[in-house]
Amino acid sequence: MATGIKDKVAIIGMGCTRFGERWDCGPEELIVEAFQEALADAGLERDAIEMAWLGLFFQEQSAGKSALPLSMSLRLPNIPVTRVENMCATGTEALRGAVYAVAAGACDIALAVGVEKLKDTGYGGLPERSKGTFDDLWLPNATAPGAFAQLASAYAAKHRCDIKDLKRAMAHISYKSHVNGALNPKAHLQREITEEQAINAPMIAYPLGLYDCCGVSDGAACAIVTSVEKARAMGIKDMVTVKAMQLAPSNGWEMSNSGWDGSYLLTTRIAAQRAYKEAGMTNPAVELDMTEVHDCFSVTELVVMEDLGLSPAGGAITDVLDGKYDRDGAVPCQIDGGLKCFGHPIGASGLRMAYEMYLQLLGRAGRRQLKSPSLGLTHNLGGHPFRNVASVSIFGLHAG
Amino acid sequence: MSYGILSFGAYVPPLRLKRQAILHAVGWAVPSLRGLAAGERSVANWDEDSITMAVEAGRDCLVGIDMAIPHLSLASTTLPFADRSNSGVVADALVLDNQVATEDLAGSRRAATSALVRLAQGAATTLLLAADCRATRPGSAQEMQYGHGAAALLVGTGKPIAEFLAVASRHEDLIDQYRAADAEFDYALEERWVREEGYLKIVPEAIEQAAANAGVALGDIEHIVLHGSVDTARALAKRLGIEAKRFVDTLGATVGDCGAAQPLMMLSLALSQAAVGDRILVVGFGQGADAILLRTTPALAAMQQGRGPGRYLTHQRVSDNYTYFLSLRNQISIDFGLRSERDNRTAQSAFYRKRRDITSMLGGRCRLCNTLQFPRSLMCVNCSASDAQDGESLSGLIGRVKSFTEDWLAYTPSPPYIYGNVEFQDGANVMLEFTDFTAGQIKVGDSVRLVFRIKDFDTKRNFHRYFWKPAPLIG
Repeated sequence: MATGIKDKVAIIGMGCTRFGERWDCGPEELIVEAFQEALADAGLERDAIEMAWLGLFFQEQSAGKSALPLSMSLRLPNIPVTRVENMCATGTEALRGAVYAVAAGACDIALAVGVEKLKDTGYGGLPERSKGTFDDLWLPNATAPGAFAQLASAYAAKHRCDIKDLKRAMAHISYKSHVNGALNPKAHLQREITEEQAINAPMIAYPLGLYDCCGVSDGAACAIVTSVEKARAMGIKDMVTVKAMQLAPSNGWEMSNSGWDGSYLLTTRIAAQRAYKEAGMTNPAVELDMTEVHDCFSVTELVVMEDLGLSPAGGAITDVLDGKYDRDGAVPCQIDGGLKCFGHPIGASGLRMAYEMYLQLLGRAGRRQLKSPSLGLTHNLGGHPFRNVASVSIFGLHAG
Repeated sequence: MSYGILSFGAYVPPLRLKRQAILHAVGWAVPSLRGLAAGERSVANWDEDSITMAVEAGRDCLVGIDMAIPHLSLASTTLPFADRSNSGVVADALVLDNQVATEDLAGSRRAATSALVRLAQGAATTLLLAADCRATRPGSAQEMQYGHGAAALLVGTGKPIAEFLAVASRHEDLIDQYRAADAEFDYALEERWVREEGYLKIVPEAIEQAAANAGVALGDIEHIVLHGSVDTARALAKRLGIEAKRFVDTLGATVGDCGAAQPLMMLSLALSQAAVGDRILVVGFGQGADAILLRTTPALAAMQQGRGPGRYLTHQRVSDNYTYFLSLRNQISIDFGLRSERDNRTAQSAFYRKRRDITSMLGGRCRLCNTLQFPRSLMCVNCSASDAQDGESLSGLIGRVKSFTEDWLAYTPSPPYIYGNVEFQDGANVMLEFTDFTAGQIKVGDSVRLVFRIKDFDTKRNFHRYFWKPAPLIG
């Protein structure tokens, strides 16, 4: 009988590069920068690592296929390395691989690295890539903002809300993340904005304006994990453990069936329910102290607040405008600045979110430290609202 | 059951360019265009060509027609492919079965009327389509005079709406205008010479012979379809001794001369307006002339509603932006940025596997739960039943906009790039690129129809691919 992953694996070291337009860096430099921080944090030698997982999405654009980018960048001693890719959940998938390996007893110390070097295309936004031989024949050549803008029009139609009210809530989401990001030296965008700036920004994909969109950045993040027993043996007392890691990909229902109304993210709902169950949670809005969700676009964060069960259906606009998700609200969201201020180097984002959870739980988040949080949630959404991969992970403190 | 014209149809692209806009842009160089600068001309959108326009005309013609179409002919001087069956693409888009004999007719503005002369002798039921999308040199008279459009006739055995009375043809190599195989534009000679030597000598011979063959006096012909200028029609009326008002409207005020499609376009207009028993003479001109004399039957009245060019004359969006027109027709190169460099190579083996899904927009209907879905899949999206889907085209369905965006980041030759989820009957939902909409026009809940359009250009390999897009309803 499976018992789930709760409290079996501890995160004992993490690292994260400064995110941004790292014109001076390739993927190799980013990997090394994140890894060295994590290794020093864990107080280990490189060769203590027995297995590794690499999360990388745009192999053509970034570092190439396979284990090699990680194995070669870190000159790992020929240990097993697996490259994983699951769209925007890629970073979290790398961590899930490492966590499962430790939980299975396959090794004591495992490494997860996520990296993406996006700023080598010569233009803004994500790289243009083929969707495959069949989909290219019929699917629109959508951009990410255009695909997520669909959520806004469908949400407004379903809940009969004025698009202006939705725009104001979206603006508050971006404003709030910029306030948080301004406190984070590793964020790409460290300047505050006003709600008016967000509302009046140039239109990218109606109704999403410039400030409704997250940045496009280079970056890497990294985690070193071990079993709770091993961590205890290493003398670690208060440790951050994995409480749940769940994944839910679409099976094509949303994109092909009119049963889905386009206003919510089915997979996020499913992954969240599974994660709450795995973590033994019954009232997430009360139990969670913070979240880092996939705010690729402001409207995504708004809808996700409902899909995670933190806001009632149709109630996210009110909750957002009431400040429920601000840093001094009931459940702070994107306390590090989120994708909004970090940008979204796809392979790295999931691990970047885990990094903030780790720092906050250990009380090491500096100027943006929340008051003694003990449980946090990260969420990724890869793909587009009509077909995607959602991951929900929960991290918390565990008394060794 | 007898033989004749069974149905007709037409298509005019909604986009119109004001001729004043042309004059405003190029009048500094060619002030003589002032005399032509009235009304509008039709302009194919960036994603339209002779194939897509022929498909629309064919759909118009086939509304309410439930019979096998054993033969499809496509006439055009602007077929998009020199070697790839253009008519075959049209046949798939019209969801005809694969036993259809397809044929491309080209090389002359008379391609369609010459085919009609041949069909008048009797043949297997044929869908005769004509379309033209001729490029014109900036500042030329053709830029003012031409339009883009398509027309269709269904000819065969059934309940004819018009019967053939007689035909006649003349071949004379009078080169009033020509376009070499590798040329972009037509080269036209002096209009007065063409009128005197062509329209007033060659055309009357063909007309008089057709009338004589049928034993019909010229004065008894109610409608004369003659493509060309109003002045030409007036001169020919005088030469033949008939009233000028019998000449069918050339649609010059809001469409323009649609090349190989023009005779059938005007015939469609005549058929949509004619009374039972009227005689219609159709003339094709260009290095000779074709004349086809028809008489309408009592079956016509039931077929006139909503068919032909009429409803397209008011379904229009008028532009006075000359550079927009040039850019849509790929005659100036706007800097659309690096995203426009996207490589749109088509995996032809994948296309072949999915050719019906793409060109016919064939989805699947589950035999167990009746759910319609696109694309078809091995397992039903609703009940997961295996191998339980029957192919069913969604192309004729009306959809409802479920979500949309106007994307200013994505590349399209006509920004913004508009796309969204569209739901159809019986549970189907498809994310689709929209066309013929302007920014601010769409709302969630709007009804849309599907049109067959160019999806992407592969400029590296001189290929382009087609798919279906939601467009505004007509009328």
